[in-house]
Amino acid sequence: MPTRTVLLASTIVFVALIASAPFVLNEGFLRLATECLLLLTMAQMWNLLAGYAGLVSLGHQVFIAFGAYALFLTSGWLEVTPIWVLPVAPLVAGAVAAIIAFPLFRLRDAYFSIAMWVFAEIIGAFTMKSQEVGGTSGMPLATSKLIDFDWFEPTMFWLAGGLTLVTIAALYKVMTSSFGLGLMSVRDNDLAAMSVGVDVRHNRFIAFVLSAAGCGLAGALSFMGNLFIAPLAAFDVNWSVYMMFIVIIGGIGTLEGPILGVIIFFGLRELMTGPLGLSGGWYLVGLGIIAVVVMIVAPRGIWPALRDRLGVRLLDVHHAAPRPATATILPGASERVTG
Amino acid sequence: MIWVETLINGALLGGLYALLGIGLALVFGVMRVVNIAHGEFMVLSAFCAVLLSNLFPQVPPLLMLIPVIALSFAVGWLYQAVIVNRVVTSPDPLSPLLLTFGVSVILRNVMVEIFGADVRSLQVGELSRASLEIAGLNIGIMPLLTLVLAALLFMALQLVLRHTEFGRIVRATADRRDIVRLSGVKPDRVYNYVMGLSLALGAIGGVLLAVRSSFTPFSGAERLLIAFEVVVLGGLGSFWGALLGGIALGMAQLIGLKIDPNAGLLYAHLLFFIMLLIRPSGLVSSRV
Repeated sequence: MPTRTVLLASTIVFVALIASAPFVLNEGFLRLATECLLLLTMAQMWNLLAGYAGLVSLGHQVFIAFGAYALFLTSGWLEVTPIWVLPVAPLVAGAVAAIIAFPLFRLRDAYFSIAMWVFAEIIGAFTMKSQEVGGTSGMPLATSKLIDFDWFEPTMFWLAGGLTLVTIAALYKVMTSSFGLGLMSVRDNDLAAMSVGVDVRHNRFIAFVLSAAGCGLAGALSFMGNLFIAPLAAFDVNWSVYMMFIVIIGGIGTLEGPILGVIIFFGLRELMTGPLGLSGGWYLVGLGIIAVVVMIVAPRGIWPALRDRLGVRLLDVHHAAPRPATATILPGASERVTG
Repeated sequence: MIWVETLINGALLGGLYALLGIGLALVFGVMRVVNIAHGEFMVLSAFCAVLLSNLFPQVPPLLMLIPVIALSFAVGWLYQAVIVNRVVTSPDPLSPLLLTFGVSVILRNVMVEIFGADVRSLQVGELSRASLEIAGLNIGIMPLLTLVLAALLFMALQLVLRHTEFGRIVRATADRRDIVRLSGVKPDRVYNYVMGLSLALGAIGGVLLAVRSSFTPFSGAERLLIAFEVVVLGGLGSFWGALLGGIALGMAQLIGLKIDPNAGLLYAHLLFFIMLLIRPSGLVSSRV
């Protein structure tokens, strides 16, 4: 069967599943599923930056916070249902990313990662100081009375599900385009990429802004579901920890990896904090150990290792090299080339 | 006058910050790895010092530095041998970063579960309150001793790296990991010692910082950020640069606290970020 048909069929199945889920699942399970889907979107966004553009951000929580605070504030000012002002979240987060890209892109590797973290700390400290956004104690969603609570959980789930599907489809589209090819070439060898005319800075910039915008939207949805936001939760470095662990465990630089990672992430959480009765701290220890072991044993993550063993390809964005032209070695030429 | 005192105290605090940074700089200089778990190891050494001084209340708490330093060296050696050496030669520069970040999350949460999230500090009694009065300025004995200790340690480290066999091996390994093997040096083993040394230096900073201000299992992140800022501000090549970077950060923090008592590390972070904006070439080009 051609890949296109398989993809189309599975998309239809997923859309149907997401559309019908609220009528089947109970409320607690629906909330969990919503959380899963939002974290999956964030992980995909972190993966876009780390797995494809080669930039590891340890301060991505700042974009989640920007998106969420933007939603809470705009919805309060305009006094409309928060759902209608959702587009503000990615716009604000993306705009912030576009601005701080200028100083941050001068730094590479670990420098970029930690400078992002410092940036998140600075914004977090300022947020705690400004009383307009509720200071340390945070603020409730001012327009929560406009929400129709009969349909709130299902709507949240549909939004999260829609966002996840759109994200994955868009990433698939982007990664199979020439832009995606350029991005991956930068990750693999930026010098070689530059030499064939790939604009490294430009590609990284776009990936950074897209990643921030996606995290902003997912963050806004996540805090909208809580109807409350506080800086300690919004600027929590654990957001970055979760995104990173999901991507690392599942498979960095693949679209399927974060999906597998999210399943392991929530499976382990429900197992450890449920039947085993362990605290959240031990859960993070367990997750951390899995991540460290995966990094040592299978540095590309679990999915790529499985894929190579099973030979399954789902959402492959791998570009095959063009088949070489039939080699005709000119007499005498081979010595010059190899010599 | 109060401002002069603030500046002097900031400079003294800077000595301590430089100690936080130097271990990180050493590991980065030798093996190009930013050890994100550095802050958590510092907090762990502070917890060890508190535990030991609770076990042996008759021993002066600062003497606990000696077993803690020895323990940290051993932990660093093992940490490098068992975990970090496996990714240190990875072609992807991000692998060590992600791995040490994973280790930091594990350590932080293990400490939360074992020691609880309460605020702790190391009590050294009279010494922490003793102060000198010079020309009308009030200067704490403990911070002064810390700065002197930091300067002595820096000198000692410089001497060891410049003038001993071990120092030559470390510098040679930092330059060409592949070539030193020809002279019979095992780079991985050199790395083990360097990581041990780095965590031992971190332990001194971690314990002394625990005397000065309280800590929780979550303090590792801010200690790492300070250490990193010290290293970047000072320029990676020089130890004295790290001392200057530490002093600048210490001053920024104390001036900030004078303006706004609950600013925390905000002004130190801001100084770092502003330096990033106005002097990026210096920051990027100063690779060892």
